[in-house]
Amino acid sequence: MGLQVPAQVRRGRKLSSFLADNAIYLVLLGLLAGIIAISPDFVSVINFRNILAQASTRVIIALGVAGVLITGGTDLSAGRMVGLSAVVSASLLQAQDYAYRMYPNLPKLPVVLPVLLCVAIGALFGLLNGVAVAVFRVPPFIATLGAMVMIYGVTSIYFDRPPYGAQPIGGLDPDFMEYAQGYFFSGPFALPYLVVYAAVVTLLVWVLWNKTVLGKNMYAIGGNPEAAVVSGVNVTKTLLAVYAIAGALYGFAGTLEAARVGSATNNTGFMYELDAIAAAVVGGVSTSGGVGTVPGVVTGVLIFQVINYGLNFIGVNAYIQYIVKGLIIIAAVAIDMRKYVRRK
Amino acid sequence: MKRKVLAILAVAGLVLTGCGGGTGGSGSGGEGASGDKPKIGVTIYKYDDNFMSFVRRAIEKNADKAELIVVDSQNDQAKQNEQVDTLISKGVQALAINLVNPQAASAIIAKARAANLPVIFFNKEPSQSDLQSYEKAWYVGTASEESGIMQGQIIVEAWKAHPEWDKNGDGKIQYVMLKGEPGHPDAEARTKYSIDTVVKAGIQVEKLEEQTGMWDSVKGKELMDAWLAKHGDKIEFVIANNDAMALGAIQSLKANGYFRDGKFMPVVGVDAIPDALTQIREGYMVGSVLNDAKNQGQAVFDLAYNAALGKHPTEGTQWKLGEDKAVRVPYVPITKENLHIAEEAYK
Repeated sequence: MGLQVPAQVRRGRKLSSFLADNAIYLVLLGLLAGIIAISPDFVSVINFRNILAQASTRVIIALGVAGVLITGGTDLSAGRMVGLSAVVSASLLQAQDYAYRMYPNLPKLPVVLPVLLCVAIGALFGLLNGVAVAVFRVPPFIATLGAMVMIYGVTSIYFDRPPYGAQPIGGLDPDFMEYAQGYFFSGPFALPYLVVYAAVVTLLVWVLWNKTVLGKNMYAIGGNPEAAVVSGVNVTKTLLAVYAIAGALYGFAGTLEAARVGSATNNTGFMYELDAIAAAVVGGVSTSGGVGTVPGVVTGVLIFQVINYGLNFIGVNAYIQYIVKGLIIIAAVAIDMRKYVRRK
Repeated sequence: MKRKVLAILAVAGLVLTGCGGGTGGSGSGGEGASGDKPKIGVTIYKYDDNFMSFVRRAIEKNADKAELIVVDSQNDQAKQNEQVDTLISKGVQALAINLVNPQAASAIIAKARAANLPVIFFNKEPSQSDLQSYEKAWYVGTASEESGIMQGQIIVEAWKAHPEWDKNGDGKIQYVMLKGEPGHPDAEARTKYSIDTVVKAGIQVEKLEEQTGMWDSVKGKELMDAWLAKHGDKIEFVIANNDAMALGAIQSLKANGYFRDGKFMPVVGVDAIPDALTQIREGYMVGSVLNDAKNQGQAVFDLAYNAALGKHPTEGTQWKLGEDKAVRVPYVPITKENLHIAEEAYK
């Protein structure tokens, strides 16, 4: 730390430092090359579209988590919030002729109503996270850990009820399925709605992070909380907003997840927060706060999805997939720590 | 120091009242109303398991005949062992135990033996050596391989009835297999016996893909996405170890243009969950296999009830104990023709 490195040594280290800085990308490129070598037909429009569509909900969740990470926090409740939202939206949007409806007498609702409700529920729980962190000074890891467990309880109570008990909530309204499974144009270049939602959210988050006071404050708090306070940043308000926005994004993602899969259970979204955090970190977001970009997060998610999809495509044993993903996460954080150490 | 003690006491109080509320709520009638009704302690390995929620309901339907104390072991064997201690101290006359880990049976048996209580295991099968080690231990469940065999029979019948499904006309079934959690006895048995049954019926098969979808719809859908991109119309049959994955695959197939304009893909699952029944009725799914929760729950109760009263567990019931001290409740193959049987199970 704080080492004074002579100039010529530094130059000599340039290549190795470049390799180290981009090691994660190189490893992933290598994996990708391996996948293509094993199965050349991996390179196809259908695969490309599948990867984009499958990455879409994950991008939305990862952008929510990434905002929190940039403030120096973390959010373990993301996956469970996705689950809550998926269960609530699915229960309110079951097809009229489905025999096992949660609310047999509920009239057909326009899709947008439950979706907005779920976004609001997500924002509310996110705000509660924010209150715990910003007002009661609970460390974010603990605050959101508590929220994760609590929200699972809430979801399960809602989910496991008579008349049909803990059954997956299926038989969804065709309009609701269309909302996530539909696409613009048909034929080889069909554009799934999911990708459009993800693109719009990405754009909005980019504007938020880069063009607004909230965005600047977010980076300031993550970079150096004391300095942020001294320079007049309202830390409490900023944190509340960042957590609430993250919650709203999880809420939205949950509705997409339910409609995309065609059913929801109280385990929908399980461990998604770890995927999202991992993707954000692989995309260059620092878990120590203050560092991260929107394109980085999107790249991180895409990289993970390519690996995920690619390994399934070539039929790699599921246990080995876990090992590969775990290694990638550790490698990414190791590199992240290097950057952090250098910054200090 | 004083405040710390107070805080600990307060938390302990909260926890205790919380527990009391929980068990009281799921029991019937509470402590006072025992009368001459036997008291039976039931543990469920995980309340939010789809299938177990129906078994639990079937058990609880008998609340008028016995005082039932039903608890949720939250997928934690350590917790379940503690719950069994509590149940015994509450004076139950029989235990009905849905183990979290089948290997943990011996510890439960030791507790039951110490209290001289009969114990009925259900749904998660203890080893024969454990079951035979205690004269008052029995098991209610199914024969794992049977679900696979029945799924295989559904495949055989449907395949023979639809020669056009053999798209490439080579007489073989090119299939993809969505497997449950690897190592799970049901996943292994279903994967093996479904295909064995098809082969025994004289139909050749070719496995295009086999991958675990971890019983999960999302994974089922995403695997199917990848396989359709890879094999397209070469796939002639989709076999899933459970309905959740089958339903995920159907979503993927729908999104990829199947089930319209004469494009079809046969999909089979296991469990016959409500959503799957709808898909079968509408022709998106060929069939599933009903794991009969209603009768399993009834059998568990009947055995526990008899045992609590000191009678032979199957006395006066329709159930038969095998050499292995187990009652095997049969699975039921479900297709469009006999949907009503499965629908009945959810009433």
